[in-house]
Amino acid sequence: MIKHLKIIDYALASLFRRKYKSLAIITAFTLVVAALASILLFSSALKTEAAHLLDSAPDLIVQRTTGGRHDLIPAEYTEKIKDIAGIGAVTGRYWGYYYDPLTGANYTVQGTDGTAKNLELLDGRLPADRGECAIGAGIAAIKKTGTSGELILVNSSNTGVLYEVVGVFRAASSLLTNDLIILANEEVIDFFGYPPGKATDVAVQVYNKNELQTIAGKVKKLLPDTRPITKSELVRTYDMVFNWRSGLMLTVFSAAVIAFCILAWDKATGISADEKQEIGILKAIGWDTADVLALKFWEGLIIALTSFLLGTIAGFVHVFFLAAFLLAPVIKGWSVVFPEFHLTPHLDPYIVFTLGFLTVTPYVASTIIPAWKTAITDPETVMRG
Amino acid sequence: MQEKTYIRTLNVRKVYNPGKPDEITALHDISVAIDRGRMTVLKGPSGSGKTTLLSAIGCMSRPTAGSILIDNRDVVKLPERFLTDLRRKKFGFIFQQFHLIRNLSVLENILLPLYPTDMMPAEMKKRATAVMTNLAMAGKERLKVKNLSGGEQQRVAIGRALINDPAVIIADEPTAHLDKKLAAEFMQILAGLCEEGRTVVIATHDPFIYEHGLVSKTIAMRDGRLEKEH
Repeated sequence: MIKHLKIIDYALASLFRRKYKSLAIITAFTLVVAALASILLFSSALKTEAAHLLDSAPDLIVQRTTGGRHDLIPAEYTEKIKDIAGIGAVTGRYWGYYYDPLTGANYTVQGTDGTAKNLELLDGRLPADRGECAIGAGIAAIKKTGTSGELILVNSSNTGVLYEVVGVFRAASSLLTNDLIILANEEVIDFFGYPPGKATDVAVQVYNKNELQTIAGKVKKLLPDTRPITKSELVRTYDMVFNWRSGLMLTVFSAAVIAFCILAWDKATGISADEKQEIGILKAIGWDTADVLALKFWEGLIIALTSFLLGTIAGFVHVFFLAAFLLAPVIKGWSVVFPEFHLTPHLDPYIVFTLGFLTVTPYVASTIIPAWKTAITDPETVMRG
Repeated sequence: MQEKTYIRTLNVRKVYNPGKPDEITALHDISVAIDRGRMTVLKGPSGSGKTTLLSAIGCMSRPTAGSILIDNRDVVKLPERFLTDLRRKKFGFIFQQFHLIRNLSVLENILLPLYPTDMMPAEMKKRATAVMTNLAMAGKERLKVKNLSGGEQQRVAIGRALINDPAVIIADEPTAHLDKKLAAEFMQILAGLCEEGRTVVIATHDPFIYEHGLVSKTIAMRDGRLEKEH
């Protein structure tokens, strides 16, 4: 034990002795870990946010399609769907997207249907009458308003409409509510100029979740011009979108990681004459091969763990406190969540392990292997150069 | 009663790059005896094989053939970890270029052989202080060796060789970088070590050493062969 503590002490002293070189490696290594951590944490956080969002999603959404495109659905379809056995509540939903030219942001405007009731309000209440609205924290910030404040939107007739803000949302996910404006259902119909008796889509509650696919099939058979979308399909789509985007980033970024590994390998395999001689001296004066390897292991581990720790913290801060400003445009894509939003800070142990495995292990290995090659030769050979 | 001979080589042969075009035989069947508690010198011109023989005696390299007996125990076929243990416990090395770690302090260099042991740091420092005092290096513990003079660097090398309290001191061309005065001081230090009962083996081509009165045995070498022993 004492022996290992002394070897660790010597390893630390060695790193301080080569402080500029050690600092340069730690800096480069930290940047690589930070970038990798940002990608993994960001895509994981988005998936978590999506999972929160989908928690409140209906079991089945029925959309009408015309010419393969989403179209408004007649209100009488809800009655037909209700007749299918195993179905609970069937609710017509009213929603649409609104582009605000003043702020250059896209908002989601939604009626007070079943989904809105699941959202947690930071302050105030949901709209009960016309002329009232509840908004996401992102919109409140961008429009500099809040509860008891006002919000002016331009409707489909190009007329400005004034709403009183009666509530501001908070959710486990700010992604869920950040760009959201909730109005009374009738207000949404008027605002977008939807024809009477038509909804945007229909939310369906299914009692037995195992029967979802069967029910979806029945809906499709009963109403051939509709497209039933199950909750699991939504989950899969979100996962695929974020996996694809983070995968794309990882692919691009893996080039940088590989470059770093090559650099580390080159640095290590091209073990300098001084380092070779030092190993030879240590061997000659009685250090065992295992002692030399322990020394190099600790040197590599100290550098790798320091960089790993700093890089992970930097990635965490970048994603959760600086809104991932370097990655967001790529991973979020065009995004309906245009206003600034902050992800809920969360550190998945699996991600930490993956990061550690991808960064610490190769570096330590690339430090030890060449040292081992040098340490197993006769000290006389090493010292003669 | 202890046997007079401490180290014995029997028909030691050393071939570098065997089987390759640049194969070279550095030692041809060398058999010598090193007496316990005495100063023995291996002398000869450059390329005569004295450093190679010194390395083999000090367990730093294995001979291609032959035996090396230390205290009547053949060490040639011992596994590497036993050779390391022998180097640490029995030998103290003073190299031609000193082979100190330049960016370490005097104290750290001297303590190097004690790191991979279970000796407590306080005991290590106590030993180092005693060694440095004997070598008139007290007060210079924190200096970096790269800032020391040649003579001081050699004392650090001697201190490092002595820190394990070894039975044998092995020195390769120890006066190559010293002037006459420092060389004389060095020989006095070695004489003191012999008086303490340590065996000293020196490889040199410096007449100042091999003609010195303290030397009890001289082994002359040329082209990897024994020329004369007296």
